[in-house]
Amino acid sequence: MLQGRDEMTESEVIVMILKGNQDKYRILVEKYQTMVFRTCIGFLHNKDDADDLSQEVFIQAYQSLNKFKGESAFATWIYRIAVNASLNKVRRNSRSPIFNRLNSLLVTGNEREISVPAFDNEDPENILIRLEKSKWIQNALDTLPENQRTAIVLSKYDDLSQKEIAEIMNTTEGAVEALMQRAKTNLRIKLSTSYKKNR
Amino acid sequence: MNCQICQQESEKYREEKLSGDLKIQVEAHLQQCAECAESYRIHSTADSIINQERAILPANDLTERIMDRIEKLEDTGNKNSKPFLRVLQPVLIITSMAAAIFIGVLIGNIYKPTGTVISRPVELSLIDDATIESVDILSNE
Repeated sequence: MLQGRDEMTESEVIVMILKGNQDKYRILVEKYQTMVFRTCIGFLHNKDDADDLSQEVFIQAYQSLNKFKGESAFATWIYRIAVNASLNKVRRNSRSPIFNRLNSLLVTGNEREISVPAFDNEDPENILIRLEKSKWIQNALDTLPENQRTAIVLSKYDDLSQKEIAEIMNTTEGAVEALMQRAKTNLRIKLSTSYKKNR
Repeated sequence: MNCQICQQESEKYREEKLSGDLKIQVEAHLQQCAECAESYRIHSTADSIINQERAILPANDLTERIMDRIEKLEDTGNKNSKPFLRVLQPVLIITSMAAAIFIGVLIGNIYKPTGTVISRPVELSLIDDATIESVDILSNE
């Protein structure tokens, strides 16, 4: 349970928001923004897109807060919203790749770059190599089936346990374990294949 | 140790969760087997790339952006939720449409055509067009 700045529990905060004290939502945003952002970047691999999507996730959660019954933890609930929003965004992007490419060119003036933080005084060649490797890993992740990809993102990016992933995905721990195994096998095959191609 | 066990244990090895005998066995296998060593390198690279992405933080002003949007949402929601406005808006639309129709009908009834009116002789209205023979038929005869 969240012990906020006012020593309030999470459910108390939610009740206050529902009563009209909208500013209390800030407590939930500050607490969960990093985890929502990590989920989004795990699916989208772009900082700006992940920022925008995180914003949408919190707005959607705020608008549906009256539907939150407290049957699961707020974290589980908001993770579900973040996963669904990310999957929808990925589906939209894959449906209109040409439009997205044109849009990114028009909006930013050049093709959107994959987000990899640059280290101070890093050699430009190293940055390029790292970018290439990032694309290679991200392409392998992106070709996984949706449920395997969700399990991998929640495990690797959000560092969640199988139990937590099972709650978010509304399935059993055994099913998540099987899903993770299949995802890792698929990832190993995809990574090895593309590694040999790019060598 | 065979390749299958090595592949199974390599994730724990990468995460430094292996210890003792098993760790030594994995290390020994990775030194002997080129295929497993390559797989280990690939996965280590993948792990480091994922960790780099995990290190990215959300925008500093993300909370403010969210709260601003919520404030705007609330403002629009409050405006829309004023009960008299919600009732008044459709009533005003329907009333103005009814008034427009009424005025239109009223003006239509008041209007009386002035100026030259072409009067038709009464005889003309008695002519039965159906009985007049076609000009084509007449010209063929």
